[in-house]
Amino acid sequence: MLAAALRKELLLQWRSRGQMMAVFVFGATALLLFSFAIGPNAEMLRTFSSGFLWLGLLLSSTLTLAESFHGEMENRALEGLLLLPSDPRALYYGKAIANWLQLTLLGCALVPVMVILYDAGTLQLLKLLAIIMLGAAGLSAPGTLYAAMTSQVKAKQMLLPLLLFPLIVPALLASVKATSLVILGDPMDQSKAWITLLAAFDLIYWSLCGLLFGRVVED
Amino acid sequence: MTGVIQGGWEFVIAAYTITGIALVVYGISLIVRLKELNKHD
Amino acid sequence: MNRTSNAPYAVLALGVALLLFGSFHGLAVAPAETYMGEVQRIMYVHVPTAWNWMLAVLWAFACAVAFLFTSNMKWDSRMEAGLEVGVLLAFLLCCQGSIWAKPTWGVWWDWDPRLTSVAVLLAASLGIMALRSFVDDPMRRAVWSAVATIIASVDLPIVYYSVKWWNSLHQEQSTPQTVDSVYHLPLRVNAFGVLFVMIGFIWLRTRVAALKLRQETAIPHTYEEAGELA
Repeated sequence: MLAAALRKELLLQWRSRGQMMAVFVFGATALLLFSFAIGPNAEMLRTFSSGFLWLGLLLSSTLTLAESFHGEMENRALEGLLLLPSDPRALYYGKAIANWLQLTLLGCALVPVMVILYDAGTLQLLKLLAIIMLGAAGLSAPGTLYAAMTSQVKAKQMLLPLLLFPLIVPALLASVKATSLVILGDPMDQSKAWITLLAAFDLIYWSLCGLLFGRVVED
Repeated sequence: MTGVIQGGWEFVIAAYTITGIALVVYGISLIVRLKELNKHD
Repeated sequence: MNRTSNAPYAVLALGVALLLFGSFHGLAVAPAETYMGEVQRIMYVHVPTAWNWMLAVLWAFACAVAFLFTSNMKWDSRMEAGLEVGVLLAFLLCCQGSIWAKPTWGVWWDWDPRLTSVAVLLAASLGIMALRSFVDDPMRRAVWSAVATIIASVDLPIVYYSVKWWNSLHQEQSTPQTVDSVYHLPLRVNAFGVLFVMIGFIWLRTRVAALKLRQETAIPHTYEEAGELA
C-alpha cells in the first residue's frame, strides 16, 4: 500500500523534474539575495551561512509542497484515490516521504551554493547530510498535511507558509544551530543535542500528522 | 540583574492603559457583534 | 445554558471589578520593589495575563480534541472563541512584555523564551483564523482548524524548550522577576479578574460563533432571506 503510493509519488516527481530545476534556481537566487542583505563581508557571511541555507530551503519548500498536491486537484483525483479501499495514511506517508526526498535533494544541491557564496565549507559531509535529512523531514511532515488542506482552498499560496512557518520554528532553530556548528566548529559537542531535538520533533510530527491526515481529506 | 531602576511610571501606565483599552475595545466589539447577529434572527 | 441568559455579562462585570480593585492595589498601595522600582508593577497585570493565556490555549486544544471525537459543532464554536480570545491575550502579552523589557533590558525584545513562544503561537493562531476565513463549508472548516489547533498546541512546549536552549547559549538565563518579591494580593486579585473577563469573553464569543453558524447554514424561508444570505 505504502510502497505503491510512494512509487506513484516518485514517478510523478521524476516526470516533473524540470520544475525541480526551477525550484533549485529559486533557492540559489535566494541565497544570493541574502548575501546582498549582509554585504560582501566574508566573515559575517560565513557566520550566518547556515541560517541562509535553511531560510532558502524553507522558502523553496513552500513551492515544492504546494505543488505536491497539484495532481490530486485535477479531475478530482483526490476523491478517486480516497474511494480506493486503502488507508488514507498510505497516501499521506507516500506524499510526505516523496516531499522529504525532494527537500533533501534540494538541500544537498544548495550546499555547494552556500560553500561558494559564503565560504562555508565543511568536511563532515555525512553529518551535514544527516542534518539536512532530519531538517527536511521536519518540514515535510507538517508541510504535506497543510498542503493537503490549502490546495483545496482559494488563497492557497498565502495560507501554506502562513500556517507552516510558525509551526516549524523548533525544527528551523535546531537545523540552523546544528549546521552552524558543523560549519563553524563545535568545541563543546553541542550538535548532538540539537540533532536530538530535531529527531524528536520529526518523530512527534510524523506520527501526529499521519494520525490526523485521514480527517483532513475525508468528505 | 541591573541596578536600581529609577522612575518608569510612564511604562507602567502604558502597560496598564494598553491592557485596559484592548479589553474594553474587544468587549465592545463582542457586544456589537451579538447585537448585529440577534437582529437577523 | 440558555442562549439569552445574562450570566456572561455578570461574569464580565465581576472580572472588571476585580481587575479595577487589584490594579488599584498594585499601582497605588503596594510599595515599589527594591531593584526594579515602579516598573515591577507591570507584573501585576502581565503575570495574570500570561496565566490566563495558557488557559485559553488549553481550552482551544481541548475543544479541538472534543470536536474531532464528537463532530459536534458546539465544540467548534467554543474553539473559535478560545482561539480569538487567545490571540487577544497573546497580543497583550507581547505588548506588556515589550513595555517591561525596554526599561529593564534596554531593548524592546530580548528573546525571552516565554514571550518568544507566545509570539510564535500568536502567529500560528492568526494563521488558523485566516484558514477559517477561507473555508466556506462549516464542517470542513471545523475539522481543518481543529487539526491545525492540535498541531499548533502540541508545538508550544517544543517551541518553548528549543528557544530556551537557543537563547541560553547567548545570555545567562535571566527571567523576569515574577513572584518572589512581589506582593501577592494584587497579583491574585488580578489573576481572577483576568480569568473572569476571559471566561465572559469566551462565553460571549461562543454565542457569536454559534449564531453565525446558524445563519450560515439556515434554509431561507423567503426570497428576501435568500438574497441576504447569498
